[in-house]
Formats: sequence, structure tokens, C-alpha cells
Amino acid sequence: MGDGLSMLITWLMGLGSMIMLAVVIGHVVFSLILIIPAWRICARAGFGGAWSLLLLLPVLGPVIVMAILAFGDWPNGEARRR
Amino acid sequence: MGAETALLGLFGLSSAFALVSLLLSIWMTWRIVAKAGFPGWLGLLFVLLPFTGVGSLVSLVLLWIFAFIGWPRDEDPLLVAARRQPGAAPAAPQVRGPGGQALPAPAPALPDKRGWTLTGKLAGGVPLTLTVDGSSSSWLLTGAPAARPGDLTVADPSVGQPHARILVSGSRLGLEDLGTRGGTFIDGARLLPEHGPRDISAVRMVRLGTVELSLARA
Repeated sequence: MGDGLSMLITWLMGLGSMIMLAVVIGHVVFSLILIIPAWRICARAGFGGAWSLLLLLPVLGPVIVMAILAFGDWPNGEARRR
Repeated sequence: MGAETALLGLFGLSSAFALVSLLLSIWMTWRIVAKAGFPGWLGLLFVLLPFTGVGSLVSLVLLWIFAFIGWPRDEDPLLVAARRQPGAAPAAPQVRGPGGQALPAPAPALPDKRGWTLTGKLAGGVPLTLTVDGSSSSWLLTGAPAARPGDLTVADPSVGQPHARILVSGSRLGLEDLGTRGGTFIDGARLLPEHGPRDISAVRMVRLGTVELSLARA
């Protein structure tokens, strides 16, 4: 009886970690859809492309990256205001 | 009733938060798109399109297009020149010869190899001329007879033994007092040992003790 319960718990923990792993991989893969263009935009603006990795942060990441691009001075120069 | 009010309040709070974040993202995308050289309202389009029922996939596609499309900013000739030579003025237009072929760039200017002369009169009216050049980076002004190649003798009792040091660095000349009683003066101002070496490239008169020396390029 005790053996069966511990087997079940072990199995559930294994399942949980598998699900967690799948969620993390899914998150990274989905984030790549955003990170690839964001990396290029950051690099063209003159910031390091690595700033786009902040997009891995779930809610705050996109806000931070957008704020850097919107309110920071682009080292590679900005279009002049007409 | 209480639960209903709480639920309404929650809706109000979350919709207010949503409105603020919407306005913030419109503001930010407007600025980003404008910095890239596009009209800012394209950023508005980017944020508002998902609300029109076409889905957020369109925004994703627009993001990719924005990342890889040519930006008007990159065609700005001033910025292009500045990026090619950071910290330099825009590139000069290429000079073309009569045949239309490009002329070679002019040779870079040679470093200034001229030396300096210190001319004056000693106490008895004896003229004195000292020459300093780039062959040595350090010259010693002394009242004693020259003992080393870099020594410059100013035979006067008011001149210390040694009195001061002259330093040569490229086209610049420095003077350092070595702590003598007679004193060293640059254009009339006393130079003290604690001042260290001073640039005298643009100086006219140097006084060692009572000996006035005028400085000029050789």
C-alpha cells in the first residue's frame, strides 16, 4: 500500500517536471518569435541586441524593451524631426 | 450586492489599467516608429490593429516587417557619414581630375621637426643663444659648464646649478623649475617647483634668475 502511494507520488512529480519543462520550452520558442525581430531592432538602433532577451520576462519584458527603444537615445542615430 | 460592487470595481480597475497600458504602448510605438524615420501614426496602427478583429497575428507580422524593412533613417546622408567615421565630419567629396578619374588623397602632413631658440644677454652684455630640438626629450638649464650632451649653460651667478629643465614632446615645449633661489619666470610669472612642468610652447619670454631669454621657433 505504501509502495503504491510512493510510486504514484513519484510518477506525479515526474509528470509535473515534464509539464514544467514543456512549458518552459514552449515559452522560449514562443518568445523567439518576438526576440528575433526585437534583437534586430535593438541592434539597428545601436543598443546591444541582447537587450531583446528581456522579452523572456513574462509581462514586464516587452514594456522594458519598448521603453528603452522609445525613450533612450539611439546610439546609431534617429531620424530627424520634420 | 456587496459582491456585485466589488466585481464592478475590479472591472473598473482592470479596464483603467488596460486603458493606461494601451495609451502607454501607443506612445512608445509612436516614438520608436518615428525614430526609425516612419510617420508615427504607423505605430498607432501597430497597436490598434489587434482590436479590429484581424487578430494579434497581424501585429506580429508587422513587427517582423518593421525589423527587416529598410528604415528611412538609414538613408539620412548626415547619419550615414557620421556612422562611417564616428566622431568625424561628413566625408569630403571626392576630387576628380580632368579625365574624370579620382585623384589620390593628399599626403598626410609631416610632423613639425623645427626646434626652439632661447636668445638673450648675460650680465656683461655677452649674447647667448641656446638651441633646443627634438633630439632629446629633456634638457637641463644650468649655470655650470655643460657636462652632458643635454646640458645648456647659462653662465650667470643668479642661475642655479642646475636651474630648470626643458621638456620636448612633439611640437610642444615644457619648462620645469628645479627649486633655485634665483627663480624661474614665464612671461613675468613665477614658476615654482611644485607647479611641475608647464607648457611654454606659446610663451615669449623666460627669465632664469636675472637672465632674460626670449623664446622663438628655430
